[in-house]
Amino acid sequence: MRDRLLSVAIYGLTTLIGLVAFLYPFFIPVVRGGAAMQGAHAADAPYFLTLLVVICFVVLLLEVQGQAVNAKLVALLGILVSINSLLRFVEIAIPGPGGVSPIFFLIIVTGYVYGGRFGFLMGAMTLIVSALITGGLGPWLPYQMMTAGWVGLTAPLCQPLARWLRAENTGREVAVLVLFGVVWGFLYGAIMNVWFWPLVTGPADQYWEPGVSLGEILRRYYAFYVATSFVWDVFGAVGNALLIAVFGLPTLRALRRFQRRFAFDYRPYRPSAA
Amino acid sequence: MNRKGAHLHPMAWVAWLVATLGLLVTTRNPLYLVLIFLCLAIVRAVIPTSAGEAWTLPLSPLLFGALIVPSTSLFNALSIHVGDTVLFRLPAWIPLLGGPVTLEAFVYGALNGLVLTGLFAAFTLVSVALPTRALVRLIPRAFHPVAVVVVVALSFVPSTLRQFQQVREAQAVRGHRVRGLRDWVPLFMPLLVGGLERALQLAEAMTARGFAGADEPIPASMRALVTASLALILGGWLLELGWGQEAGYLLMALGGVAIGYVLWRLGRQAPHTTYRHEPWHPRDWAMVAAAAVALLPLLLLPLAQRMSLYYYPYPALTMPAFDPALALTMLALLAPAILTPGSTSRPAPSVAPDTSYDSV
Repeated sequence: MRDRLLSVAIYGLTTLIGLVAFLYPFFIPVVRGGAAMQGAHAADAPYFLTLLVVICFVVLLLEVQGQAVNAKLVALLGILVSINSLLRFVEIAIPGPGGVSPIFFLIIVTGYVYGGRFGFLMGAMTLIVSALITGGLGPWLPYQMMTAGWVGLTAPLCQPLARWLRAENTGREVAVLVLFGVVWGFLYGAIMNVWFWPLVTGPADQYWEPGVSLGEILRRYYAFYVATSFVWDVFGAVGNALLIAVFGLPTLRALRRFQRRFAFDYRPYRPSAA
Repeated sequence: MNRKGAHLHPMAWVAWLVATLGLLVTTRNPLYLVLIFLCLAIVRAVIPTSAGEAWTLPLSPLLFGALIVPSTSLFNALSIHVGDTVLFRLPAWIPLLGGPVTLEAFVYGALNGLVLTGLFAAFTLVSVALPTRALVRLIPRAFHPVAVVVVVALSFVPSTLRQFQQVREAQAVRGHRVRGLRDWVPLFMPLLVGGLERALQLAEAMTARGFAGADEPIPASMRALVTASLALILGGWLLELGWGQEAGYLLMALGGVAIGYVLWRLGRQAPHTTYRHEPWHPRDWAMVAAAAVALLPLLLLPLAQRMSLYYYPYPALTMPAFDPALALTMLALLAPAILTPGSTSRPAPSVAPDTSYDSV
């Protein structure tokens, strides 16, 4: 009970801080008002909130890894991350149109079958391992790891709908995951925009600026998103949908079969119990 | 280049990286950007490469720049209609893009693209200079299971690639041809199922060798402290955000320190064996000192002297300012070229990644 409460508290607080950190450009003007936003720390806000995102990610990773440390999980995760990292390598070597990326398919499906914690680790680890083998280390990496982790963490949310549809191992289950993949195709792009958007400077009315109203901020972000990311994310969403539609069913069946094969436990030999 | 002491200490490289990123993120002055790029190019040309360079670079910084700089300048020019030097006009009825296209917007977009290229080049340089093993060691010890997963994944990349080639050849012998997306299923599924089989074998082998998780790897007291720290951070942030109270920063700092303490404590509990110790040499101190010198202008110089870092081409292009003293401090970024042992000879890169992860 105590462990469960601690888990709920840690997940809740990290999610809350993460949301605050990602969404602050939209609500800061409302909370503070225009005049206060011109204060000394207004310009530091993006850097400061970057630090908050990193802290959240570190804590979430600690919590997730601490709850499931065993040889089976480590081996399974290591091999699946290795396969997914190769897909990322292929993506970089032969770029697809727009934001098409093959990595989200496996993150979504494994998170859906093996649970949110596994999905979170799958998303975050895929990004770091693929960054190491492709030379893709950069300031964007913590945000990518956090957001890809969220993709896997939220995948089990599809389970109630799939159960309600009585759709296990059917086309309907794949359709649910396709929908989820489309949503995250857009969401991933929108979230990854928000982390650097306040840092981008420019005189036009597409950029974040301390002191402007919420309506104006939303209008600017909409203009920025439509101009820079929408088409890109359409490709990403369509790519996710196609990959899940084509590979989803056989992958779900294979993962479930191995879930049963992994359902064994090693117990230390205790002579007194024998 | 895996022999002992053959490269600078990874933490010294991190100090250099922080200095380079700090300068790149701060300045938009093209003259300083060129200087930083010169430093990066010289360091890249001089330092010996770790094993796996050919593997780690599907996209070189030069190619990255060739793609990014034109696209950022074009995007900026088409979307930002500010500046005195109008090159041409797009019809006003085109949403977001219609209006004057100016030289100033082109230049500012190109400068942003150069900064992105510089960030990419700096990270790539560190990836090239250090063996992957050293990069994995930078993962804090508190994340021991994560580090093991990373090591397993990196170690299995070459064999997964080999397995994919075998599957492809086997399917080709059966007459399989890839024409559309569905034709990838017979290639992907054996790869996935084969990987899962290997995971099963690996799990058994790891257990047989004594790798096992504890029932409660993180003590409840530590998790409670993390929860309290998060509450402090959130409370401090809301205090600062809602009421502008400086005390909010204090609460957040306390929360941050407490989380740092938890990481340190958990790191000490993690099993750790070092077969190849990374010694800290005087040259590593020199590298840290050089990084501090490069960052000095951002921290210590009076505002008047720092102003040349900031360049803004709007409303009309002007000649960027240049401060020789500032430029001189930036030359400290050349430190790796001078301090890296054996920096005059460059061994031929291997085509396989360095997978000798001896400890985590």
